[in-house]
Amino acid sequence: MGAVVVGVLAVELYSLARRYGRNYVLKEINLTVSAGKTVILRGDNGAGKTTLLRVLSTRLKPSRGGGKVYGYDLVRQADEVRQRVIYLPVFGGHYPMMSALENLQLAARLSQQRVAGAELETQLEQVGLLDVRHKLVRTFSSGMKKRLMLARLRLSQARLWLLDEPYTALDEQGQGLVDELLLSAKAQGKTVMMASHELKRAEALADSILAVAQGRLSHYRQREAVYG
Amino acid sequence: MAEPSWVLAIAAKDLRQEVRSKAVTVATLFFSAIVLFILAFSLGPGEAFLRNAAPGVLWVALAFAGVISAAQSYQSELEENALEQLLLYPIPRAVIFLGKLLANWLFMSALGLLILPVTAVLFNTGLGQAWWWLLAVILLGTLGFSLIATFYAALTANLRARESLLPVLMFPVVIPVLLAAVRATGEIVRLGDLAVAQDWLKLLLGFALVYLVICTAIFHFVVEE
Repeated sequence: MGAVVVGVLAVELYSLARRYGRNYVLKEINLTVSAGKTVILRGDNGAGKTTLLRVLSTRLKPSRGGGKVYGYDLVRQADEVRQRVIYLPVFGGHYPMMSALENLQLAARLSQQRVAGAELETQLEQVGLLDVRHKLVRTFSSGMKKRLMLARLRLSQARLWLLDEPYTALDEQGQGLVDELLLSAKAQGKTVMMASHELKRAEALADSILAVAQGRLSHYRQREAVYG
Repeated sequence: MAEPSWVLAIAAKDLRQEVRSKAVTVATLFFSAIVLFILAFSLGPGEAFLRNAAPGVLWVALAFAGVISAAQSYQSELEENALEQLLLYPIPRAVIFLGKLLANWLFMSALGLLILPVTAVLFNTGLGQAWWWLLAVILLGTLGFSLIATFYAALTANLRARESLLPVLMFPVVIPVLLAAVRATGEIVRLGDLAVAQDWLKLLLGFALVYLVICTAIFHFVVEE
């Protein structure tokens, strides 16, 4: 209440609610996140973390209330929001009958990025998939698919990263890759909102940890400059 | 980068996956062959009767194969939740529709061109002297059909009963296209009046243009949640 905000706002949500049928998964969400901050969402399964991230990604429309991402309205200016946001779900988001390289090429093209083939291979190398870049994704393990998602994240120029359980399915080295990405995002001034149960790993990188329970947000732990 | 390149990227993605999995190709070829063989066997051997039935049988086979093709094009998007990602790229929704339409149309046209000579042989009918007009009928008829099929397949993609709902919803809308395609094919194959066939072709073109404008304009309503 009455928070003083200095600098660019990455996320503004006011009285936001979202329901599936008659069941309200999110109720009265009010949140303001300054650009460049890393926010962790924690909460039990079904608490509404994924729904909140999907609303911010524009995939779901708010049932009530509204919000903005970098000043653009989530509903009326959804195209502008999508140019500034990348959302990585827990699983999926790629085509199993295409190779890792083809999936990344498609992602770059549809994200309106001109990326050379060598750059794509570099990103795949960084996540440990260079040797299997021509193999179909259907032959990949869950962890390898997750690494492919990380390659897409590395390639992205989005200013707001929405990550749903980014550590899931990854081995220790893969989880280290996520940590590196979060650190580089912070260094580049990107904003990160991340749902995670891996609090011990994530909290060292977080500016704030928010608890989602029964469709509402509350502060779990806060360092600075995240206002709710 | 211009928008046509996004449309081509989405169409190429769908076709590339189909070339590798062959899921729809095998199903539609097998289905079309069964329909043609059974109907040729049951309607024969009277030559005039077979000749009259051939256009209808051709388009029945194509229509059911087209439903399978359109439904599968969204099924592959749902397998790894890829549709969700596709909808999050900063591209207009119409681009997604046009890309999937292009892939479905190319596939259905190729199927039509493949089973056309098979139908001619099985039903003991030639392709007519103006056989090149048949190519135009196949291209325009499958375009009109693919427009409706691609749109309704998106509408039903997230429903539990999508396999049964897709034909129930789309066939009443697509019947004018099928009737025009059957009549145009019949006039050409039976060496009838080419001017009449051309009138039916103009109608097919009109249907395709109207459906193209409407489906492209309202596609975003279909995929929003």
